[in-house]
Amino acid sequence: MGRDQIKTALFRVFKDKFQIVDPGVDENLRDAYEFDSIDAVELLHEIELMLDSKLTQAEKKSAMDIRTINQIVDYIESLSAARAGAGADGAGERLSAAER
Amino acid sequence: MARRVVITGCSAITPIGRSRAEILRHLTEGVSGVKPLRKDGFLSDYIHSGVFGTVDYPIDYDFKRSHSKTMGPVSFYACQVAKEALAASGLDPETITSGRLGVAFGSTHGSPSAQRSIYKTFFTEAGTDRRLTSVGAVDYLKSMVHTTAVNITKMFGITGRVISSSTACTTSSQSIGFGYETVKFGLQDAMLCGGADEYDTTTVAVFDNLLACSTEFNATPHLTPRPFDVRRDGLVVGEGAGAVVLEDYEHARRRGADILGEVIGFSCNNNGGDLILPNIDGITRTLTLALETAALDPAEVDFVSAHATATKMGDVIEAQAIGSVYGQGPVVAGLKSYVGHTMGACGVIETIITLHLMAEGIVPPTLNLDEVDERCAMIRHSTRLAEQPIRTAAIQNFAFGGVNTCLMLRRFDG
Repeated sequence: MGRDQIKTALFRVFKDKFQIVDPGVDENLRDAYEFDSIDAVELLHEIELMLDSKLTQAEKKSAMDIRTINQIVDYIESLSAARAGAGADGAGERLSAAER
Repeated sequence: MARRVVITGCSAITPIGRSRAEILRHLTEGVSGVKPLRKDGFLSDYIHSGVFGTVDYPIDYDFKRSHSKTMGPVSFYACQVAKEALAASGLDPETITSGRLGVAFGSTHGSPSAQRSIYKTFFTEAGTDRRLTSVGAVDYLKSMVHTTAVNITKMFGITGRVISSSTACTTSSQSIGFGYETVKFGLQDAMLCGGADEYDTTTVAVFDNLLACSTEFNATPHLTPRPFDVRRDGLVVGEGAGAVVLEDYEHARRRGADILGEVIGFSCNNNGGDLILPNIDGITRTLTLALETAALDPAEVDFVSAHATATKMGDVIEAQAIGSVYGQGPVVAGLKSYVGHTMGACGVIETIITLHLMAEGIVPPTLNLDEVDERCAMIRHSTRLAEQPIRTAAIQNFAFGGVNTCLMLRRFDG
C-alpha cells in the first residue's frame, strides 16, 4: 500500500465513519474536529480492516499520541512495513487462512 | 424546609405529535397514533402483534458530531426533548452549568439497536474474519442504561446530580418523582426530568411472548389499545420521549419564569411479590401514599391519568384500586389509548399531556372505550370529550418488577 493509497483510504474512512471531510493533513484533529480517544479507538479498528491484520496492544497504545493525518499515514506505513518484513508469521497478528 | 416545585418547561415526542396544538388536535378529534408494526428483518415476522405506537414524522436534529457520536436513537430523542424543554424554561446557561441543576432521565434498557450491534460481534456471518470483529468504541456509550441522562449532561454541560431510573414503565414517572424530591428538599434548584424509548421490536416480542400484546386489531391499528373496554386484548408498545424542567418555585418566581404547573406529591412503592402480576394492595397503597404526600383529600382530585395498558387483568385491578380510593369522584382517562405504551417515556408523556389538558380545561375520552368492562365499571370513565377544569390530577404508572408510582399535579393559578 503506497502513501497516496493510504491517504485516499484514510480520507474515505474519515468521511464515512466520522463525517470529517477533507481534513488538512497537518491539522491537529483534536483541536479542529474534536477527534478524541473514542474516535481514535474506532480508527484503529478501521486500520486493522485496511491492513487485514490485527494490531497488538502495544501497537495500539503507541498510536495514542498521534494527532494529524500525516502522522496516521506514517503510522500505517510503519505497520505495513513491519508486516511485510516479518512475512506471514511476523508482526502484529496477521491472520493465517485457517483463522479466517 | 420543603420547597414548592413547579414545572417551567416541557417538550415531547409522541406518536400523536410534538406541539401542544398537535397533541390536543389528536385528543379532541380522536385520532390515534398507533400504526402497523414495521418490518424489521429481525423479529417482526415472528411476533403475533402487528401494531406499534409510532413516531412517523421527521425530526430535525441539529447536533454536533462530537455530541451525536455517542447517541443511539433513544438518546437522539432524549437530547432533542431536553434541548427544547430547557429552551422553553428560559434557564440561562450559567444556571444550567452551575451544578444547581441536575438530570433525572432514563429509558427501559438504553438503546436496543446499539445492543444489537454489540451482539453481532458474537454472531459474525460465515466468511467474516472473526478476529477482526470487535465491540465498537462507542457501542457501550450508546447502549448503557444511563445513556440518555449522560448524553444530556454532555450536550449542555450539566454538572449537577444524575439520576437514571430504569424501571420499565415507571422509568420516567420515577424521574419526575425523584427530581421533585431532589428540588423539594433543596438538593438542587432545578432538575431536568424525563424518559425516552426508541422504536424496538424486541420489547414487542417480550410482551407478545407473555400474551400481553394486542393481536386482534392488526388490520385496524387505530382501534387498539382499548383500555377498560370489554374487547381489549392487550397493550400496544410505542416509542417516544418527554422532558420537563422542575424548579424551586421561589427560584422560578424570582426570574419571572412561565409556570406550567406544580408537582405537589409523589409516591413510589413495590408490591413486594410477583414481578409481573398487578397487585391491588400495592397499587391502592401507591394511590393513598400519593394523596398523603400532597396532603390531599381524595375529593380534591379532578382527573386521573390511569396507567391503563388495556391488559385483561391490569385494567381491572387498577379500576378497583381507583374505585376504592376515589369512588366515582375524578374523571379517569387512559391516555395510552392514543399513543400506545411508550414504556420508559409513558410517565412523562402522560404528565405533559395532563399539563396541556389542565391549560385547556378539557378531558378527552379514553379512545376505543366503546363498552366498559363491568369489572372496571366502578369508576367515572371519560367516554366523550368534555370541557372540564382540572385543578388537581393524579398520574399513575405501574411497572414490571412490581414498581408503582403516582405523581400529583396542580394547575398553577399564580
